[in-house]
Formats: sequence, C-alpha cells, structure tokens
Amino acid sequence: MTQFLMTAFHVLVFPGALFCVVIGILLAGIDRKLVARMQNRVGPPLLQPLYDVLKCWGKETIVPRHARRGLFLYAPLVGFAALITTALFIPVLSYTAYSTGGDLVVILYLLTLASVTMMVGAAASGSPFAGVGLSREMVAMISYELPFVLVLLAVGKVAGEGSALGCTFSLQTIVNWQAANGSILFHWSMIPAAIAMLMVIPCEIGMHPFDVAEAETEICEGMLAEYSGAPLAVFKLSHCVKMYVMTALFCAMFLGGLSTGIVVLDVLLVIVLCTVVTFVSMTVPHAVCARLKVEQVFKFYWTVVAGLAAISAILVWFGL
Amino acid sequence: MEFMINFPILAVISLFLGAFVTSLAGRRSETARNAVVLISMATSLILVLCLIKPVLIDGEIITYWLGNWQPVEGWAFGISLQVDALSLFFALIVTVAVFVSGVYSFSYMKHDDSLVNFYTLFLMLSGSVLGLVLSGDLFNIFVMIEIMTFTAVALTAFRNNYEGALEGAFKYLIVGALGSTSVLVGVAMIYSQLHTLNLAQIAALLPSHMNPVTVAAFGFLFVGFGTKAFLFPFQPLAADAHAVAPASISLMISGVLTKCGVYGIVRLCYALYQNMDQPFVQYLVTGVGAVSMFICVTMAFNQHNFKRLLAFHSISQVGYVITVAGMGTMLGLSAGLYHAMNHTIFKGLLFLTAGAVQHATGTLDLDEMGGLSKKMPKTTILFLIGAASISGLPPFNGFASKWMIYQAAFERAADGNIFFLVAAVAALITSVLTLASFIKVAQSVFFGQLPESMKDVKEVDQGMCIPMWIMAALCVITGLFPAQIQQWLLVPAAKAAMNAAAYIDAAMGNGYAAANGIAASSAAAPAFIGSWNPVTWLLLLLSVTIAVCLVAVLGNPNPKTTEVAEETEGDDKFESFFSGEKAVFSQVGGSDLFWGFKHNWRKYFSFMHDWHSGVVNDYALYGAAAIAVVLALCVIFL
Amino acid sequence: MIQKLIDKSMSKSPWIFHINAGSCNGCDIELVSVLTPRYDAERLGFRLTGTPRQADIVVVSGPITLQTRDRLVRTLAQVPEPFCVVSLGSCPRSGNVFKGSYAIDGPLEKYVHVDVSVGGCTPKPEAVVAALAKAAEILAEKRKEMRK
Repeated sequence: MTQFLMTAFHVLVFPGALFCVVIGILLAGIDRKLVARMQNRVGPPLLQPLYDVLKCWGKETIVPRHARRGLFLYAPLVGFAALITTALFIPVLSYTAYSTGGDLVVILYLLTLASVTMMVGAAASGSPFAGVGLSREMVAMISYELPFVLVLLAVGKVAGEGSALGCTFSLQTIVNWQAANGSILFHWSMIPAAIAMLMVIPCEIGMHPFDVAEAETEICEGMLAEYSGAPLAVFKLSHCVKMYVMTALFCAMFLGGLSTGIVVLDVLLVIVLCTVVTFVSMTVPHAVCARLKVEQVFKFYWTVVAGLAAISAILVWFGL
Repeated sequence: MEFMINFPILAVISLFLGAFVTSLAGRRSETARNAVVLISMATSLILVLCLIKPVLIDGEIITYWLGNWQPVEGWAFGISLQVDALSLFFALIVTVAVFVSGVYSFSYMKHDDSLVNFYTLFLMLSGSVLGLVLSGDLFNIFVMIEIMTFTAVALTAFRNNYEGALEGAFKYLIVGALGSTSVLVGVAMIYSQLHTLNLAQIAALLPSHMNPVTVAAFGFLFVGFGTKAFLFPFQPLAADAHAVAPASISLMISGVLTKCGVYGIVRLCYALYQNMDQPFVQYLVTGVGAVSMFICVTMAFNQHNFKRLLAFHSISQVGYVITVAGMGTMLGLSAGLYHAMNHTIFKGLLFLTAGAVQHATGTLDLDEMGGLSKKMPKTTILFLIGAASISGLPPFNGFASKWMIYQAAFERAADGNIFFLVAAVAALITSVLTLASFIKVAQSVFFGQLPESMKDVKEVDQGMCIPMWIMAALCVITGLFPAQIQQWLLVPAAKAAMNAAAYIDAAMGNGYAAANGIAASSAAAPAFIGSWNPVTWLLLLLSVTIAVCLVAVLGNPNPKTTEVAEETEGDDKFESFFSGEKAVFSQVGGSDLFWGFKHNWRKYFSFMHDWHSGVVNDYALYGAAAIAVVLALCVIFL
Repeated sequence: MIQKLIDKSMSKSPWIFHINAGSCNGCDIELVSVLTPRYDAERLGFRLTGTPRQADIVVVSGPITLQTRDRLVRTLAQVPEPFCVVSLGSCPRSGNVFKGSYAIDGPLEKYVHVDVSVGGCTPKPEAVVAALAKAAEILAEKRKEMRK
C-alpha cells in the first residue's frame, strides 16, 4: 500500500505530473518575460503559458475530415505521458524517484517517443502543412541526435571511471559521482560538451532559432496546423514540460555536484538552475537570432555542435 | 528421451516431404494442398519446439548420424545433424517465420495461379533453411545454401508479370551463385587440408592447422555467408529481389535467409576457427556490419517503393546484428542474437503489412498512396507497431535489443577502443535515421489525404490479419520480457556458440577436443550494466491512463465540441486549412520528405545513386572485389 | 472553478489571425507595429498565429474584393468557437475609397458578425490595441454565454 501511494505520489505530484507542469509553465513564462525585457518590451505576465493552455482547453475541438480521429486526439496524450515518465528518471540533484541503471538510453528514447507521437498526431491530421512540418521536425531531430548522443557518451564515460564497465548510463551514478568529485561542468575537458548540450536543448524543445517545424509565418504552425481546443492545450503543455525536462537533465548531467543533500533546498536549487539554463540556452538565442532554414539547422548541428561534443568525447575517452 | 535424437531430421524431412506431397496431391484440390502445407509446417514447428526442453534448458547437444554412421577411430565419415542451443535458436526463428509466412500466403496468394509450384518451392526453401541451421556437416551446409538460393530465386520471379521480377531474380541468381561458389571453394580448401567435412571435427582440427590455405578458406566462407546475409557490398541485390517478390517470400528472404548468413558467420568465427578473440576478425566483422548498417539506412531514404525501402532496412538491421556479433564478447553475441530474432519478427510484420497494402491497393509506390489509415485501420496500427519496434521505441522489442547492442558496444569501447565507440555512435544514428524513414512511410502511405483512385480500398481479410497480429503480439512479448528471453534463449545460445569444446565432444566422443588442444570455454553469463526494465513501460502506461482519465473525468470544459461526422461532407469547417483556398488533393509524402537532410548530403546521395547502378555486371564485380579484398586482408593479418 | 479560470484566461490569451481581404497593406503594417516593442501587444497576451484553427480573434483588413471573398468566408468557417471578428480600418466597414467598384463585394457585415470595428485609414496603433483589448473582453463574454 505504501509502495502504491509512493508510486502515485511520484507519478502525480513530485517529480511527476504536477511538479513538471508547474515548473514547466514557470520556465516558459520566465523565458517569454525575459525575451520581452531583452527586446525592451514589457512582456506578457509570468503565467501567460498557463492562460494559453487554459484558453485552448476551453475552445472547440475540430476534427478535420481528412484526420484519423483516434490518433489525432490521443497522440498528444501519449506524448505528454512519455514526457512525464522521462521526468521520473531525472534526479532532482539528491532526490531520485526511479533509476534503472541505464537512464540515459531510456531518456533518449522516451524523448524520441514524445517527438514521434507529435509527428504521428500531425500526420494523422491530414493537412499538407502538417506534412511539411513533420518532415522538418524529423530533420531537426536527426540534427540534434548526433551531438546529443556524443554528449551522453562523454558524460557517461567521465562519471563511469572506476566502475566495472568504465562507463555508466545511470543518472543516479552520475549525480553521485559529481557530489563526490565536483560538477562535470567544471572539468575543463567537458566544457565543449556542456556548450554543445546547451545548444541541443533549444532544438530538442523547438525554441525560436530552431523552431523550423512550427514556423508560424511560413508553414502555418506546421505540425499543429489543424489542432485546436483540448489536444492543442496538451501540446502547449508538453512544450512547457519539455523545457523543464531538458533543463533538469542538463542540471543532473553537468551540475549535479551542487547538491546540498537536503531535498527541499535541492528542489529550490534546481528551479534556480533550470531558470539559469533556460536563460542561457533558450532566451538569449531567442531574443537575438532569426529563425534558421531547415538545411542550415542540420548543417549547424552536424558540424559545429557535433564537433564540440566530439572534442569532449575524444578527450574524455583518452582519459583527460 | 532417446527418441528425441530423431526430431531434428524429422523436422527437416517433414518440410521436404511436404514439398513433394504438395506437388503430387496439390493439383487435385486446393484444400488438400493447403492441408499438406499446413501439416508439414506445423509438424516441423512442433518438433523444433519439443527440442527446447533438452537443448535450451538442459543444455544437451543432440547429434544425429544419418544411417547411424558413427565416427570411427576419431574420423567422422557420416553425415550428421547436430543441434546445440545456437542451432536450435535459429531453428526456432526459422520455423516460426515459416509458419507465419505460410499461413499468410493462403490468403495473400489466393488470386495467383500455379500455386502448387509456389508451395512446393516454398516448402523446399523452408526445409533447406532449417537443414542449414541444424546441419553438422560443412558440405551439407553448402548443399542447403544451393537449394535455398535457387528456390529463393524461383520464388522471387514467381510473379513474373511484375515489372522487374525476372530482372531481380536474375541478379539474385548471378550474385547468389557467386556467393555459393565462394562457399564451395572454402569447403573444398578445408577438405583438402583436414580431410573431413564434419563441423565438429573441423572445429577440433582447424586451430592446429592454420596455414595459408585454411586462412584463405576463412575468407571465402566469410564472403559466401556474407552474400547470403546481403551484407555490404551485396545490398543492392536484396533491394531488387525484395521489391518484386511476393510479401510472404520477402518475409522469408529478409527474416530467414539473411539469418542463415548470420548463423554461418557466427558459426564460422566462434566455433570453427575460434578466432573471434583476434582483433583483426573483430574489426573485419564489426566493420562490415557497421558499414552495411549505415549505408543501407541512408539508401532507404531515397526509395519510392515500399518493399524496396524495407529491403534496405532489412540489411541495415542485419548490419546491427553482425556489428555486435563481431565484438567477440558474450554480451555482444547475445545482443546480436536477440536483435536477429527481433528483426525476423518486426521486419516480418512490416513486410506483411506492405503485402496487405499491395493486396488492397495494387501498388507499392509511396508517391501514389496516402490516407490509407481511414480505409485500413488495422493495418495502420500493425504497421505503427512494427515501425515503433524497428525504430527502437519503448516498450517494443527493438528497444530491448538495441539497448543490449549499445551496452555491448560501450563495454568494448570502454577500454579506450575508438573503433567500437564509432560503431556505437553509428548504431545510435542509424536508429534515428531508421525512425525517419518509417515516419516517411507512415506519412506517405497511411496518413495524409486519400487519393481519388483509392476510394474503394478495403481492409484485408482475417486470413492475412491473423498472421500479422501474431507477429505484432510477438513484438510486444519479446519487448516486455527481455530478462526471461535472455535467460532462456540468448544466454544458452551464446554460450553454445562460444563453447566449441562441448560441440566437438558431443559429436566425436568425450575427450576429443582436449586431445586436439581445444580448451573448454569458461565464458560466464554476461554482466549487464542494468538490463532494460519494463517497469519504465508500466509507469508510462500508468501515467497515460491517468492523463486520459483526468481528461475524461473532468470532461471537456467546453459545452460545444464538434466532431466530424459523415454529414460534414462539403462543410468548409472540416476541410483542411489550405490558406483559404478551396482544399484540393495535396499529399506530402514519398521522396519529398526530409529535403533538409538530403540537401546537405546531396553529394553522398548522388555517389550512392551511381554506385547502385542496377547493372548485374557491376554487382558481380563488387562481389569479386569483396572476395579479393577479404582474401588479401585475411592472408595479411590472420 | 475551472470554468471561471478558463473564462478569465479567455480574455488573457487571445491569439490573432489576420486575413488580408484586398487591403492596401497600410492597415497590415499598423497591425504588425502593434506587436513591436513600442506598443507591445504581447503584454496583454496577444500573439499572432498562423492558422485559423488556433485563432481567437480574426482581424480582417481590406475592402473584401471578389477574389478574396470566398477565401475569407472559408477561413472564417474554420475558426473554432468562441471567436471574435475585428474589422481593421475603414475598408471592411464601408469600402472606403473603393466603394462602388465592380471588384468589391463588401462590407464585412454581409458575411460575419463583426464584434469590434476600428475606423481610420489607417487606424493608429493605439486604436488597434484598444480594439483588440475590447475584443478580448467580448471573447470572455461569448464564452460565458456559450456555457449557459
């Protein structure tokens, strides 16, 4: 019974649904506010993403004639659930809800699953704009996957030294290692990987300079072209949650050494760190860059970002 | 259980016998023909299933001497069938795939004529494949390869009214013969040196008889088996053959024939030559696997034909298997076997859905289709399951085996070996590219808008749906219980492959291996970084349920929710948004997708396009070049 | 309570979809300037969206030419309930200098109920912001009515 209550608590409250949603909405709000401030605007209220989601929920849901009803309506829910599940595997510094010993691979594929459900939903809407959008989303995914994988490998290798296989994929181990040896971010050979990861985050979430898939002015919101009402609200919410998941992943991978050991303090610390990561990786590029073209995104990620990540991976693999 | 030693030969014979009875009795009535086919397939399946208990669980090795010609004074003259856990593992894959493919054929091939020939060839193909994996005799392996190749060629050309059917079969014939010849040359060289053809005796004698001739024989056999698995540079062949063969035969070629190549390479490197611990062999096998894996997945990007695309993916997945089997570790081999099994299941499912689409619409051209999910909802779901499995999305089986593949690669890479690190990264990238091309198929075939010409398409009948559901169920089951699969199937099979001494002793009598200096293997069960735990999946399911429930309980806060119904025909509100224009048919799909990726790689793609010229002379040349290169490398490094 | 929250957020996050029904581009430029740092309509939650499916406020500019008429009607049909229509500038309201032209089939009221109408050729950005804010209030009212 306690076990069940604990699971329910994890899934529903912390670090699952409620926590993710609240922090995600706050992060998205902070991001929009900061972008506005950097552009010398007043900006929307902090809770604007919440208003957006609630409003979408209150609107009529139209299922277009070419859409496949079931997939169109339920694919967003599966994607949302996949993101919440991802969050369960990410330690909040000293607090880990679940650990499988190979979290990094699970997280990699669960994030993929979240994107795929979005693409399936878009494909099921039957709109040509959604078709173009999902093609672009897939290309963006191919783009960031290579540097993302290299970063994961480098981190796993650094934190896995001394373990049986010399390489670990458990975020728990990575955080513990950092608590003992200092944050990975402050190891000089890992700085390129950290920069690469900061660049991967906006593309994974679909933030501004890399939001080729949802370019509202070019391809009419792309994948979301036919979405309205409740499913759209779920998509917007997933977007917020993804912001939390990716920034928290960065914190666990690179800043785990900052843990204070007290859960409540750690939670507050993670929120602060997530905000900082959001600012550095998303707000600044959003405020100062124009949207790239899709082939530029691919080129950028497979040369610059993958190069940075590869430098770290190679340095680490030779024990530096 | 004395009588059990007869089961292997009976399993093979029941298929061959079925072939002859079909051709005799099948001409009279359709029911009799189908009954004969079904009975012979089911018999061999049941016989193979019966062997699970002694071979996989108790770890026995069953040796059957034809005509009871036992070895005399340490020399094996007779023909033998030898079933260890590795053979049985592949035999299970083969018989299950044969059964599903055969059952599917009953409805799928209904409208073709001269079906007696089809089923005769089909059963001969099945029998030869089963014979190959169960055989304990090198020359019989060659014979089975020959039967397999020629029946497969005939079946590829079976629908010879299709454009390219004869051409594909002809290419397969020429290059397949090249591979078979290569095997024959290898067999002859080994026989000239060791004067025996029994696998166990060869395994015992080879390590002490390493000379240029046996080394060259290794090269010939490796290329020969590689041809059967369509590894690089033989992949263009697979594409031509798969695209034109009936779907149930595509399943056989991709799910079963390529597995014979994998079995051959594993047996060759692990048991016969026992040289898998040499870095050169590891680099050779892993290198060939990784190159096939990557080139084929990029080739799949450019395909317009549903089955051609699947064919390239098939080689790409076999590339995974070979890559990881070449790591030379227990973990690597068991990961490879796991993926080989999963590949048969999910690729079988995908080929069957392709067959269903072809059956329903009469075309396989991705550019002509679209929106079929409305007409064929079951096939769509089945396709999505298969696509999720092959792309490695949890909780399906592809994820579980890819997980093990990454672990095996990192295990080897952890001691600073960059080669295996690159292989691991290539595997991860291949996984994303695989996903991309299945998104392309989903968008082009099942989603988007329905063309006018496909308005009357109907869902396929139960006879075709049931085999697909079986495969889909297997996808989920093998994905959800990786720990059990590992314990009962993979570890025994991998152990058997690595334990040459036991294999030798089972055939030649106890002590024969030790007398020839083959030490018993002490390979322990592989250590796992932490196996994939389906608890993740359960949590996922839980949160999905909760999310759905929340929405359902709170209800839609909006009182007015309009959903589409049939009467919305003509109502602008439910048309696709088309920037205000009147919605016309516009399907985004086929080769138009992923322009951003292909644009950056245009030079690579144009090179590959020229390289896959479609001219059989070129392909034969690549084959000859492959033999030359592998031979040269073997002679230099081995 | 959730219903009240939704009602409240209705007026706090109206997304705009802009239809140009043959406008001279003057009003369109003014609408864009509303979103610039100087006027910053985003502080009220406004956001331009690319598809009518996500729109709450449909802004129509231009005198409704024959060419755009069908497209306008079709697009307006695709907006989910509840939504507001704002006519921007004098053209959609009266036809402005184009009134009486054979190529004009206005005014906008012929096709859809206009909730807010901004006059001027072109209207000042301040006026546009005021109109949009008014439309957002009407939006919340509409939702409440719909609930009853």
